[in-house]
Amino acid sequence: MIWRFGLFDHTFEPLALTHWALLAALGLPLLLGLLAVVFPLKRAWPIVLASVPVLASGLVLLFAYDQAGLLRWQWEIAGVHLSLRLNGLSVLLLLMTQVIGVAAALYTPGYLRLSETGSLARWLWPLMGVVLSALSLIWLATDLLTLYAALELMGLAAVGMLMLSGKVPALVAGMRYLLLALVGSLTYLLGVALILGHWGRLDLQGLADVIEPGPVAWFAAALIGAGLALKAALFPLHAWLTPVHESAWTPVSALHAALVIKASLFMLLQLWSILLPDTFYAPRVIAWLGMLAIVWGGLLAWRTDSLKTLVASSTVAQLGYLMVAFPLLLGPDIAPLPRALAWEGFWLQLMGHAFAKAAMFMAAGNLILATGESTLKGLAGTSRRLSLSLLVFGIASITLMGLPPSAGFTAKWMLLQAMIITEQWWAVAALLTGTLLTAAYVFRMFRYSFDETAPRHRYQPLAPGMDLIALTLALIAFALGLLAHFPLELMHGGSP
Amino acid sequence: MMTLLLALSLLWPLGVAGVVIWQTSSTPSARREYFSVLWLSAAWPALLLAYGGEAQWTMDAWMLGGEWALNSLSRPWLAFTALLWSLAAFHARGYFAAEQAKAQDGDQDAERRLLRLALLWPLTLLGNVLLIIAQDIASFYLGFALMTFAAYALVVHSGTEEARLGAKAYLILAVVGEGLILGGFLWAAGEANTLTLQGVRESILVAEHGAWMAALLCLGFGVKAGVIGLHVWLPLAHPVAPAPASAVLSGAMIKAGLLGWISVLPLGHEQVSEPLARFGNYMLIAGLAAAFGAALYGVFQRHPKAVLAYSSISQMGMMTALVAMGLVAPEVWPLLWPGLVLFAAHHALAKGSLFMGTSISEHLPRWPLPLVWALLALPGISLAGAIGAGLISKWSVKSPLYEMHHESLITLLSWAAVGTAALVSVALWRQWQQRHQGGSNREQWGAWLVAIAAALLTPLWLPLPAGSIEIPPLKEWLGIMWPFPVGVMFAMVGWLLTQPLKGKSLPAGDLWWLYAGIVGAVLVPLRWVGHCCIQIKATSVATAQKTEAMLMGHLTRLLSTESWLRHHTSGLMMILAVLLAALLMWEGQR
Amino acid sequence: MIASFDTIEAVLALCLTVSALVCLFDRHLVRACCFFVAFAVVMTLAWWQLGAPWLVVTELLLGVVLTGLCFFYALGHLLPGASSPLKRDTFNEPWSRAAIRLLLALAWFVMIGAAILYVIVDMAYSPSEHPLLLAGVVIAASAIGAFALHRHLLRRLLAFNLLGSGVFMLLAGVAGTSPPAQALISVGLLVAWLGSMLGALLIRQLLHLEGIEALGHDGESKEGAT
Repeated sequence: MIWRFGLFDHTFEPLALTHWALLAALGLPLLLGLLAVVFPLKRAWPIVLASVPVLASGLVLLFAYDQAGLLRWQWEIAGVHLSLRLNGLSVLLLLMTQVIGVAAALYTPGYLRLSETGSLARWLWPLMGVVLSALSLIWLATDLLTLYAALELMGLAAVGMLMLSGKVPALVAGMRYLLLALVGSLTYLLGVALILGHWGRLDLQGLADVIEPGPVAWFAAALIGAGLALKAALFPLHAWLTPVHESAWTPVSALHAALVIKASLFMLLQLWSILLPDTFYAPRVIAWLGMLAIVWGGLLAWRTDSLKTLVASSTVAQLGYLMVAFPLLLGPDIAPLPRALAWEGFWLQLMGHAFAKAAMFMAAGNLILATGESTLKGLAGTSRRLSLSLLVFGIASITLMGLPPSAGFTAKWMLLQAMIITEQWWAVAALLTGTLLTAAYVFRMFRYSFDETAPRHRYQPLAPGMDLIALTLALIAFALGLLAHFPLELMHGGSP
Repeated sequence: MMTLLLALSLLWPLGVAGVVIWQTSSTPSARREYFSVLWLSAAWPALLLAYGGEAQWTMDAWMLGGEWALNSLSRPWLAFTALLWSLAAFHARGYFAAEQAKAQDGDQDAERRLLRLALLWPLTLLGNVLLIIAQDIASFYLGFALMTFAAYALVVHSGTEEARLGAKAYLILAVVGEGLILGGFLWAAGEANTLTLQGVRESILVAEHGAWMAALLCLGFGVKAGVIGLHVWLPLAHPVAPAPASAVLSGAMIKAGLLGWISVLPLGHEQVSEPLARFGNYMLIAGLAAAFGAALYGVFQRHPKAVLAYSSISQMGMMTALVAMGLVAPEVWPLLWPGLVLFAAHHALAKGSLFMGTSISEHLPRWPLPLVWALLALPGISLAGAIGAGLISKWSVKSPLYEMHHESLITLLSWAAVGTAALVSVALWRQWQQRHQGGSNREQWGAWLVAIAAALLTPLWLPLPAGSIEIPPLKEWLGIMWPFPVGVMFAMVGWLLTQPLKGKSLPAGDLWWLYAGIVGAVLVPLRWVGHCCIQIKATSVATAQKTEAMLMGHLTRLLSTESWLRHHTSGLMMILAVLLAALLMWEGQR
Repeated sequence: MIASFDTIEAVLALCLTVSALVCLFDRHLVRACCFFVAFAVVMTLAWWQLGAPWLVVTELLLGVVLTGLCFFYALGHLLPGASSPLKRDTFNEPWSRAAIRLLLALAWFVMIGAAILYVIVDMAYSPSEHPLLLAGVVIAASAIGAFALHRHLLRRLLAFNLLGSGVFMLLAGVAGTSPPAQALISVGLLVAWLGSMLGALLIRQLLHLEGIEALGHDGESKEGAT
């Protein structure tokens, strides 16, 4: 299992251009964010200009991987080993981060102009830069120290971003998130301490070689698992998530729900596949919680009155799908075929959800911005005036529901196949229930929007492109399902 | 040449209908002629076709494979049908002249009505022609359905309360009939895997349930042919329809039902099965019952057209009985059928001229009244069998029956002719009572006179097989002619006897009112059941809503646990860590 | 020599534990913060004792000075003229919550202790000879228990800082003062300071906007309204 993360393959020396691309991918977002504090942004075109080198760096890395296969960087600074690796999966996740990050950045100027945001708005840019840089680092890093530092950096910046709106509910929710995230990382750090104390090293390659099942590995896995589950908003530790999104700015919500929580999940899977390659029960506990998450998140989203809570609760349910795949990825005696299917389904679901959720938050944000109301009832009559935003919402929900031909469908299809091969009927039932609940809450939202009894006459016009950006993201989620062949090819990287 | 004529006879009415539509958009209503020469000519190609000789066509491209033919049966049929349609069209031009003038003056209602009539008249004709020449099921059914539904416009034309009732009765029964016909056709065609009428005949002959198929089809066509029990639309629709429409309804279209029977029943076939023969007997009885019942009921009608409608039912009853003979006594059929066709053709023209006559008596021309009534009476007398073509047609059906020794049937038919005579005299009497001055125009009486002539001289122009019709020998004349004076006498005696009733009469449409009553009675418990269902639905909806509200309440309370989860997130994290550690240790120590 | 070292360490461990417990469970907030500063000073000494000069500097700068300043800023003692409404924690917890948290803290104590025992087998130190490690376990377990127990945001922030220190102590105890461990602890200290600063800013802002009640919002009280 761990070989899939590309820790063992032999590598060639990366080309000089690749070094620069790596530097750009990791440093440019941060640098550009800092620049934006100095030169406040009013228009979208500087962002278009700035996004070119960022995306170019991602593409260069993609080509480098395509040409040379796995790439690895290692440094030793004052006796501390730092290492990065670039395999197909990390390239994919990096590109996903950059695309969603660029989309969120492009969406931001219009959003800030239309909603009176106050003086704190300019600090959004560096925080966004930090989040994107830290995320890129997390996808690449292969030692526990870098991972810890990047995770902390990302977490703190995310808290900062979420609280920029400055309203009391946002502050209360943000404070809760801050404390829980910090405690979560300390729990993670405790686990790392055990690993460091017992095996004396932090690099994942070395650890994967030396770690054997034993009490230390188990305690470390339990601590790391609990800490990261808290940060990834896995059920039942998800409750901080919805209030955080309730009053945050739209592009921030989009980034957070699409990417930030996924980073913790990524780390959790990576570390557990080193620490617990052959345990039976722990992945199942996660899967059972995942089934509950699917139902609970679906019910929450179904009964809520607020549009943003609906979207945020749907994140809880969608994370449940990823949790349900745990026993297919980790554990003894899993046949290669279901394991490969589950692996591909897991990452495709993660990426599909990231794009769809970002699009959905943007669409929801557009609706709220245009109507000035954040409740579902406030949507009455939007079907005629804001049909594009609703269309984006609909396309995104197709991915979330898992209807063909979206990425959600392909991913769930693979997961279902793996579950049926391994005869995990409860998981199948949960998956199908989740689809029904998703349909229920999506159609509930649409029912409100087609209500013509309370026609509104004044709508805040949206900035040009706000709907188009969301539409692009939703269509990417679609395209991932239609052209799943390409990302799946990349995910294969590495050999056992 | 024949093919060209065939194509023309079918396309011409269609083209006429198209021209009517085109005219509405191109000509201003003040100068619009609804009944132009072109419109009058709709039936002419078909008439020509009938005299073109026998022919056969097979068209694979047409629907399920078209098979059309002009044979010894369909030729005379097409001839009298087309002739009647042409004459009725002429008559219509005169009949609607006043209404057209009104429409040209800007009466939008009249305009709409005339347009509807002018458009659907050629379509009805088209259906009628198509069904006569069709030999495959699909074409036949298409023609029949087209004729049936297009004729609705002819019945409902005036738009009065009575017209709508008549049209409603017509439509309800027509739909029932179409359903029966379709069912019968599908059954028979499916059973024998055939697409032609010939196949249907064979299928009915050999199939196990042939009698039932025959019953379905006969009842279906019986709606049109006015078989007893299904005849109720005739006396309701005829009085309200315009005279030319009545003429074609009673003359041509009613015969389509008869043709339907002849087309689908294995008449005159040697190996008629037992049930089929029994079915023939039922049909015979039904026919005779219609012949007498309609006469008895009809004489008490006030409206001359209602009387004539009952006369049609009575006449059709006789023809039903004759058709039934084809099943009961197959050996008589080869001799009988030319007589039957002559009978039908003569009845068509005679009834057509009688109906046209009603419009003459309502708009009397400035002729001496005795002359007019003599002319009015002529087709009636002929219909009763006393003179002209009636005499010959009576003989042509009687002589085969004589030969095969069915004397009792002959006697019954003669007594039915008494009924006919009585009905005709009552009709004339009613016309006399309800006569109006007011100048009918040239087309009106011209078409009428031609129709009278054609009715009296039917055997001369009808293209029947040579030698199949002969003039009765003189000694038989009395035997054929006696019903007429007897009938007139009966009518007069009856009139004298009913004098104390002071002009009260039975309602037209007899059984319709019974049916309506039955349906109304059936609807009462149905309404009650419906009411109960509504109540049950309301209760169940209320219960479901209450349950839903309760469930949602529970769900909302359950979901408020979310805030508990939020409050205890850190504690839950501690529990999760301890749980995972314990679980892993337990599993590892095992 | 060893015995004297042990004595010093034992005294340090005792000081750490006592100051941590007072800091965690004293409802008087100013006193709790003072004890936190004292705790941080003792931590500095402990790092010195463990022979990690780099960490001494970091702890002194980040732990004592900057984090301490953050807390006093949050209390309102730093800005002249600012009223200081934060005196005592007035939020009361039901006893069942406290009991469950106590049980959980004990469970964590057992868990961490067991884990350390498994690690310590091939370590140069041993718990009996190294009371600092024991103190770390106690501090970490009680701090996370207190974190889960308290509702007052400032006290949760304090508990988080103490938990961090406990974890660093454990880290140093099990991994020694190797470069990776020092790097991890330095990053951790930096993060803790950043988090404390952010938390302190938030607390001030909430006080400014909503008053004292806002600091206890976590959970039941006003959740339904938002």
